[in-house]
Amino acid sequence: MNKRTWLIVALVLPLIALVGTAYLKNMQRASGTEVTLPIEGFDPRDLLSGHYLTYNVAYGVGQVCESGDGGYASYSGKAAICLKPTLGFYPADSLPSDCTLLIRGECDAGRFNAGIERFYIPEEHAAALDTKVRDKQGSIVLSVDTDGNAVLKDLLIDGKPWKTALETAN
Amino acid sequence: MGMITRKLDQWLQAGLITPDQHTAILAFESDHPQHANWWIYSFMILGAAIIGLGVISLIAANWVDIPDSVKLGADFALLALIAGGIYAQYPNQQHGIWFEVLLVSFMLLCLSSIGLISQIFHTGGEWYHALLFWAVITFLLSLFASNLFTRFLWVTLFLHGVLWSIVVPIGVEFEHTWNELPAVLLLAPLLTAVLYQASVQVKTLQGFSSSLFFWFQLSAVVALVFADITHSGGDMENYQVARYIPAYIAGGILAGSIAMQRNYSLLNKVLLLAALALLLLYYHPDLLFSGESRYSLFSAYDHSDVSFWQADDIRAPLLTLAILFLYAVHAGNIGHQRTFNLVTFLIGLRFVILYFQAMGGLAATGIGLIVSGGLIMGIAWLWYKGREHLQQWTKGLKA
Repeated sequence: MNKRTWLIVALVLPLIALVGTAYLKNMQRASGTEVTLPIEGFDPRDLLSGHYLTYNVAYGVGQVCESGDGGYASYSGKAAICLKPTLGFYPADSLPSDCTLLIRGECDAGRFNAGIERFYIPEEHAAALDTKVRDKQGSIVLSVDTDGNAVLKDLLIDGKPWKTALETAN
Repeated sequence: MGMITRKLDQWLQAGLITPDQHTAILAFESDHPQHANWWIYSFMILGAAIIGLGVISLIAANWVDIPDSVKLGADFALLALIAGGIYAQYPNQQHGIWFEVLLVSFMLLCLSSIGLISQIFHTGGEWYHALLFWAVITFLLSLFASNLFTRFLWVTLFLHGVLWSIVVPIGVEFEHTWNELPAVLLLAPLLTAVLYQASVQVKTLQGFSSSLFFWFQLSAVVALVFADITHSGGDMENYQVARYIPAYIAGGILAGSIAMQRNYSLLNKVLLLAALALLLLYYHPDLLFSGESRYSLFSAYDHSDVSFWQADDIRAPLLTLAILFLYAVHAGNIGHQRTFNLVTFLIGLRFVILYFQAMGGLAATGIGLIVSGGLIMGIAWLWYKGREHLQQWTKGLKA
C-alpha cells in the first residue's frame, strides 16, 4: 500500500470506530427488554459529579455484594442480579440457569456496578435534577439484552421522563 | 535567510569561508527554503487545539434541545469534512500548515465525539478508557503528523490512557481513592522507557521518540519525588503487590532491553540496571524502609529516638541521590549534556532540601538563616564547579 492509501485507512478507521460504536449502542438500546428501576443517591457529597448524576440503583434484592457468610466481608468480582423469575443477587458463577432476565455487573468495594450508574444531564438542569434524585423521586429506564448487558434509556422523575417532569415543574 | 546571510558575511570577513563557499551556501539555502516559521505552526496548531477544546466544552454543556440524532449526525459530518480536507491537503504535507492543523482538529474532534457518544448513550466508562480508545483509533493518523506538538499530544493522551487502564482494574476495594497512584507513578517511567526503546528501534515509530523521552524523564522525576516525600513522611500505605505487577513486568522488559543494547558499554548497562533496581526497591514499603522517621519536614517536632541510619527520611533521600547519581554518570558518559546538567541540578536541590529536613529548626533563627543561605550558595557553587569535573570523569570512565 502506498502512503496515500494508508492515509485513507487512517482517516476512515476512526470514523468507522465512532459510527460503529454509536450504532451498536443505539441497537442495544432499541432491542433489549425495557426495565424500570428506582434510584437513590449513595453519597450526598458527590451525587452530582460534573454534569452527570451518579446514584445507586435500588434493585430491591436486599444484600448486594456480600460474601454470604453473614459477616461484613464483601464479595468482589463479576456478579449478576437476576430480575426474573426470582429476584436475587448472585456471584457470576452461581447464577441460576432458569434466570431469564438479568443484569450483569461487578462488585467493587461492596457496590454492584453495571455501568448504568451515571446519567448525563444538561448543565442548566443539573441542580434541579440533583435535588429530585436526592429526594428519591428518580428512577431509570434500562434496556437489557439477553446476555445481561444493560444500557440506560431515560431518567424518570416521579414516573415521567425528566424533560417532561422539569417542564411541568416550571 | 536574513540571519544566515548576516552570519555568512561575518564568516567571510573573518576569513573562515571562501567567497565560493559563501555563494554556494547562499545558493543552497535559497533552493531549500525553510518550512513555514515554527511560530506560525505553533499558533495555528494551538488555535486548532483551543477550537477542539471549545467543541468538547460545547458538547459537555449537553444541549438538551438538540435531538441526539442531529448532534451525532452533525458531529460525524464534521469529522468526514475534516477528513476530506486532510486528504486534499496531503500532497502539501511536508510544507503545509493546513494539513497539520486539520490533523490536530480531526484528532481532537474524535476525542470529543467519544464524549458525545458517552453523553448520548450514558456509557459508564472511565476517562482513561476513553483516552485509550481514542489513542487506538487515531494511532495510524498520528504517524502522518510531522509537527512535534501533534505527536506529543498523541503520546501524552496515549500514556495516560494506557497507564491508568493497566493499573486501576488490578485490585479492588479501593474505588474512589488514590491508592493506585504509587503503582501508576512507578509504572509510568518504566513503561515509557520501554516504549521509548521500541520507538528508537522501529523506524515508523521514531517520530514519537522525543515525546516519549520527555515523558520518561518527567515521570521518572515525579516517581522519585513521590517516593521520597512518601517515605520521608514515614510510610507508604496500602501496598498491594498485584497493583505493582505491571511495573515489575515493565521493569523486567526494560532490564532485558538495557542488557541487549549494543550502543551501551558494560558500564552504562550496569549503571542503568542499578538505578532501575533501586527505583523498584524504592517503591517497596518493607525491604529498605522501617516506617519510622527521624525528622519532620513540615513540623517542628523531631523523633531523635530513631537512629540516624534507621530513619526513612534519611534512607529515602540517600536512595534518591544514589539513583540520580547513577543516572547522571550514565548521561555524562554517553554525552547527554542537558540531561546531565538537569540531573546534577536535581542532586544539588535534594541536598538543599535534606539540609532543611535535618536543620529546619535552625533556619528559624537569624544565625540559622545566614548559615542556610551560605550553605545554599556553597552547594550551588560546588554544583557549578563540580559538575564539569564530574562530567569529564564520567566521560573518561571505561567499562
